[in-house]
Amino acid sequence: MRTSDYLDQAWSNLRKKRLRTFLTTSGVVIGIGALVCMFAFGQGVQQNIRAQFDELELFNYINVSLRNRPTPQPAHADPDAPGVETEPAESAVAPDKRVDVLDDAFLDEVTRIDGVQAAFPEMRFPAQIHLSGEERFTLIQVVTAKACQSELVQLRAGKPYASDDPNEVVISDTLLRRLGNRKPETAVGQDIDIRTITLDFSLTSLFRMAFARGDQRLPVSNKRYPFKIVGVVERMGFGGPMPIRSDVFIPPAAAARMRKLVLTSMSDFFEPPERLADYSTITIKVASPTDVAPVKKQLEQRGLRTFALMDQLQEMQKGFIIMDMFLLAVGMIGITVASLGIMNTMVMSILERYREIGIMKAVGATDGDVQKIFLFESGMIGFFGGLFGLALAWVVSLIINAVVNSFASREGVPYIHYFNFPWWLCLGAIAFSILISLTAGVYPTLRAARVDPVVALRHD
Amino acid sequence: MDADSFIQTQDLTKVYASGPVELRALSDVTLSVAHGRFVGVTGASGSGKSTLMNLLGGLDTPSSGSICVAGKPISDLSGSDLARFRRNTVGMIFQSFNLVPSYSALENVAFPLLFADVPKPKRIERAAELLQTVGLEPRKDHRPSELSGGEQQRVAIARALINRPQILLADEPTGNLDSKTSQQIVQMLHDLHANQGLTIVMISHEEDLLRTFADELICLQDGALTAHEILRAAS
Repeated sequence: MRTSDYLDQAWSNLRKKRLRTFLTTSGVVIGIGALVCMFAFGQGVQQNIRAQFDELELFNYINVSLRNRPTPQPAHADPDAPGVETEPAESAVAPDKRVDVLDDAFLDEVTRIDGVQAAFPEMRFPAQIHLSGEERFTLIQVVTAKACQSELVQLRAGKPYASDDPNEVVISDTLLRRLGNRKPETAVGQDIDIRTITLDFSLTSLFRMAFARGDQRLPVSNKRYPFKIVGVVERMGFGGPMPIRSDVFIPPAAAARMRKLVLTSMSDFFEPPERLADYSTITIKVASPTDVAPVKKQLEQRGLRTFALMDQLQEMQKGFIIMDMFLLAVGMIGITVASLGIMNTMVMSILERYREIGIMKAVGATDGDVQKIFLFESGMIGFFGGLFGLALAWVVSLIINAVVNSFASREGVPYIHYFNFPWWLCLGAIAFSILISLTAGVYPTLRAARVDPVVALRHD
Repeated sequence: MDADSFIQTQDLTKVYASGPVELRALSDVTLSVAHGRFVGVTGASGSGKSTLMNLLGGLDTPSSGSICVAGKPISDLSGSDLARFRRNTVGMIFQSFNLVPSYSALENVAFPLLFADVPKPKRIERAAELLQTVGLEPRKDHRPSELSGGEQQRVAIARALINRPQILLADEPTGNLDSKTSQQIVQMLHDLHANQGLTIVMISHEEDLLRTFADELICLQDGALTAHEILRAAS
């Protein structure tokens, strides 16, 4: 038989049982639709994360902190393992090169390293803000005037603060929207109060705690600081982990004047509040991800501990694969049910066409011909199931995108495509659907091929 | 083997096993039929007529003995070679017509060519020609359920002829037809035999009908060949 005849036969046989074909194919459509939807969602998440990383240039950043006391590495530890904070051995650092303090002088020094574009302290602290009669609990980030004036901060309205000193802030458009203000330009020039919280675990504080009465028992203090909004930073829909993701940015000198709880390191909990001249962590931006390794090496040679997201790329990719596998496993439930449906339909079809199979054999069809006729039928169910499943997944993705984005836009999040349909997913879905259908059709077709024509044609 | 034999069986036996019970459907049948003969096979129900027909047509394989049809030792052929034999050498007609109910008369006639790699336009063309031969051209688009018994059998005859077979095997072709239509169908088979020189083996329990049209008459009883009568000598 010719391939065109197999296709013709399969098509006409499926058309004869329209309802059954429709129902069986619907099972495949739903199964493939669910699978593709999940996979496309996984792809969408990955694409969005990658795009966000690329857009925010997150692979261009290195976090630098002072080395803790040397901790011996376990014998089995892999020093090249990605994603681990790299801590140089004590003996490897020349004493004259060792850096003991992360301060403004060091920031200046770092910016002179080849490939480094900017360096700024990584300092965030929680605070209550008071703006236009509304109160919000948020993270305040300390950003130097230099960094604020660079392209790292994209302003929607106003301007960056001119120096590190004034009590001025730049706030995010997202925060403004949450406060009900959709016109960033109207916020510029407004007063904003920042109320900080401090946990004071210094010895004197602990002594006071031990012998205090009433609300003095807790080592908590808070204080209100008046600021003025000078700029509104462009909204960020998918804020990465670093470097600028907070809603309120203030200059370092203004921050230094505030009593606050700094959250860059657990050790900050136990530092006296007066220790504000140095930074526990600084962030360095390099020109390109390829600069990360050499810059890191230079910093580690000076006894500093470094962390770059670039190192975690491989781990992230592993995570993506695990996520894909999980989504695939969930999606396979639908496919399994659909393939049982195909098997059932094919077995039913063979039982109904028992005599027809006998006729085929009587007029010269080989077992192989009979097998292929039925395999083409199940393959065709798979093809249309895959095709319409893909269409279903696409329609569902449009609906989900529309619904989620309509809610998210109220929170100031820009439109995001949560699903991604790469060409290989579309072709793969159809091929997979055909493959699953053919697999489901193997047993029924073998059964069809084994039909004894003498029995099938026996006169009733 | 007889050099003139077109169909030759030697000690042909078919035993059906149903658990511990064995049913001997055909027992040591040895016969020889020359090319171009119209052979009638008669016998009571269960005498082994249909079993003989299935074995000659390559639908079934013997338990022992041998069959040779048109020079092919079909008892030794593999499954796919048997299929090729059924496709190219034999045409079969059945009592219950065995047409595909969902196909039109034309599609039913063209059906065997599907397995012979013949392109669709040629299949349709040849099927239409044969329907015209059996006088059913106007009813080519009708399904079997829309045709009378005689018409269905004529469609089946056209289907059996589409691969230009050398031998036509008819298993009780008149079993479901009234006497007038039966006469017409057997007459049609006889004409094919006379005009095209087809070798025909026809099973019927109507011995009179066979005696009217057949050249030879074979009688079976309890699976054994009891008589092989030459009714008309070869011309």
